[in-house]
Amino acid sequence: MCVVFSFLFGLSLMHKKMEFPFPDEVLEHIFSFIQSDKDRNSVSMVCKSWYEIERWCRRKVFVGNCYAVSPRMVSRRFPEFRSIELKGKPHFADFNLVPDGWGGYVFPWIVEMAGAFPWLEEIKLKRMVVTDESLELIAKSFKKVKVLVLSSCEGFSTDGLGAIAASCKNLEELDLVDCEVDDLSGHWLSHFPESYTSLVSLNISCLVSDEVSFSALERLVGRCTNLRTLRLNRAVPLDKVADILRRAPQLVEFGTGTYAAELRPDVYSDLAGAFSSCKELKSLSGFWDVVPDYLPAIYPVCSKLTSLNLSYATIQSPELIKLVSHCPNLQRLLVLDYIEDSGLEALASSCKDLQELRVFPSDPYGVEPNVSLTERGLVAVSSGCPKLMSVLYFCRQMSNEALVTIAKNRPNFTRFRLCIIEPRTADYLTHEPLDVGFGAIVQYCKELQRLSLSGLLTDRVFEYIGKYAKKLEMLSVAFAGDSDLGLHHVLSGCESLRKLEIRDCPFGDKALLANAARLETMRSLWMSSCAVSFGACKLLGQKMPRLNVEVIDERGPPDSRPESCPVDKLYIYRTIAGPRFDMPPFVWTMEDDPSLLLS
Amino acid sequence: MPNMELQLGLALPTPNMIKGFDLNNHRLDHLKQRGCFSNKSKRSFEQAFGNFKQDGKTKTLLLWSGQPNEEEDHKDQKKTTFSTIDDNDDEEVEQVVGWPPIKTWRKKIFNQPNGVGGIENNRVADKENGRSIYVKVKMEGVAITRKVDIRLYLSYQTLSNSLITMFSKDKKCGDDDSTRYILTYQDKEGDWLIAGDIPWQSFMRCVQRLKIIRNRD
Repeated sequence: MCVVFSFLFGLSLMHKKMEFPFPDEVLEHIFSFIQSDKDRNSVSMVCKSWYEIERWCRRKVFVGNCYAVSPRMVSRRFPEFRSIELKGKPHFADFNLVPDGWGGYVFPWIVEMAGAFPWLEEIKLKRMVVTDESLELIAKSFKKVKVLVLSSCEGFSTDGLGAIAASCKNLEELDLVDCEVDDLSGHWLSHFPESYTSLVSLNISCLVSDEVSFSALERLVGRCTNLRTLRLNRAVPLDKVADILRRAPQLVEFGTGTYAAELRPDVYSDLAGAFSSCKELKSLSGFWDVVPDYLPAIYPVCSKLTSLNLSYATIQSPELIKLVSHCPNLQRLLVLDYIEDSGLEALASSCKDLQELRVFPSDPYGVEPNVSLTERGLVAVSSGCPKLMSVLYFCRQMSNEALVTIAKNRPNFTRFRLCIIEPRTADYLTHEPLDVGFGAIVQYCKELQRLSLSGLLTDRVFEYIGKYAKKLEMLSVAFAGDSDLGLHHVLSGCESLRKLEIRDCPFGDKALLANAARLETMRSLWMSSCAVSFGACKLLGQKMPRLNVEVIDERGPPDSRPESCPVDKLYIYRTIAGPRFDMPPFVWTMEDDPSLLLS
Repeated sequence: MPNMELQLGLALPTPNMIKGFDLNNHRLDHLKQRGCFSNKSKRSFEQAFGNFKQDGKTKTLLLWSGQPNEEEDHKDQKKTTFSTIDDNDDEEVEQVVGWPPIKTWRKKIFNQPNGVGGIENNRVADKENGRSIYVKVKMEGVAITRKVDIRLYLSYQTLSNSLITMFSKDKKCGDDDSTRYILTYQDKEGDWLIAGDIPWQSFMRCVQRLKIIRNRD
């Protein structure tokens, strides 16, 4: 990338001097090597003609917040795009903090693109409300669509999927990740016509219906010889897996359904044989309701596995250790805390290529720990796995000492998300806040892009974050801090911060208002159950026309309470589209001061 | 709000890939004159998100020294959306909304009983999406199984009242108003218990299905 940029720099200098001898096509060709959205945006700012050339040849559009810009603005600026990625609701919607009906509707986008972009090839949506109507419109309008990815979306049913299956003859990828789908039945799969063979990737793991049309599934898998990724849902029983694998031995990524059945030698050997025939398999997932005796059936493929998702597998540590010790090439592991410290120690010694680890809680609402998983497990992997970069870890105890050790062991962390289950839990050894521990993380891990905090934390941790976390792009904070100073440190110090989400912290008006300008350089700020007053929200809304300041309050209109009263939830995001008009009754966008709009 | 300095300013520059490249004011004017920004009434992408520096002033809505103050005006406003744990409390703590931060999707495995050979239990059509927990309700002697959203109820009383209404049409002939019914439930371990013994919140979390049986004594 640096080579391209120095070249571009040279070219741009020439251009400035108006001595540019090359036709636009040359620039276009050069720009085609620049894929990342950020870089494309930079390129477009060099000068007017580069802006023009770039906008005509941008093929992939990324809109990180669907309300930051309007569909019309996007289609006007980029008349030739082929791929669009849209994100809707704020991240905290994943944890039910955003009330239903808040927004994030994809329909207006589909309508806008339907007429003007019939050649659209890729649609990727995250946290958006997608209706059957939208899916039907996609099916009708985009005959060339190849990729449809719906991640954490909701609002549609298998009827909509049926429409896609029936019409999208060029579809290669249909990926439903963690969606809330009204699963009416598995018969939508039969809507793929018999002549359809283009499928490369199918992920239906989030469909909850017990009915699946097995024959349709098997026929589909059988005739799509390019199929590389297949993630089944829980409804597919174990004894069907062998049949499916035999029809698709070329699979690279596979997700099982229920991994449980009565123990029968014929079923077992069938399964083991089917797995052995899959020479390309690199990624496995699924494993709902695992019967441990069936696990060894996957041993033949373990040595090649780079990704393993066992986060639904309720199996105990000894089985997990055995499994993991068969996978020396593992790069990515998702697992429940049944793995325990001992399992993580085994992981640290077997899997030297591990880059990403996520450990989920098996009993998140219990007060007492049900497994022996502590900070020791995380220390072990941080010490034993030199390539570890990304961690999501749920546990019940932590110490500053452990965090400092982890930070020093692994300065190459890019993502560090620690969730100590009980809010405001102190260092269990010293009973102090965990400021110093997290401070070490941000100090030593200079490439840290994403951080989630937990445990007992004072304003001090935010001082460290503001001072050291210069590359941090996303920060999640809960039940932390003492005063506005904490928020101020973050907003004034973290230069790269784009997304900040805060809940249940004593942050109020001062830090927010003092750092108002900073908010325009970020994608969004979420604050819920904090201490920001309605008056401050109004002021922010008035004075910052390039921000939408949304007050979300299910208690009723905020002006029915005193202005000093804190709002329930606050969502602030930069936008060039102005206030939106699709809000539900419990969301208010603070009005801009009309005189400022003209400046 | 007293005396605020309001200076029109723009965003702080963020480091970007084109190092050493300087968009100076001259360039900005040049662009503006050329009508570069296609839509005159609305701000273009660059104006909103660009790394321009204009006069080097930054906008602030509040002059604040950034020192911690003694006012503690947040004390009263500190929200407790959850009840703190009592060390002596043996029961499970009241759930805080959205904590621990686990995706709705992942929570589904906690609602469904697991276990070796427990395939049959997985057919229970629970649906927990944070807003609803649907539980099957069967009444002894009635063919149709109904479903209720447990989250709609605040107590055993409200649940019973609703169930009475729901099943009142199903009373068998021969039953009269003096027939009494007992509400039972199946918990996560698969055991059938009489509803009402454990606190409502705990009940909501562990109930898998409901059954109304006739009181035979």
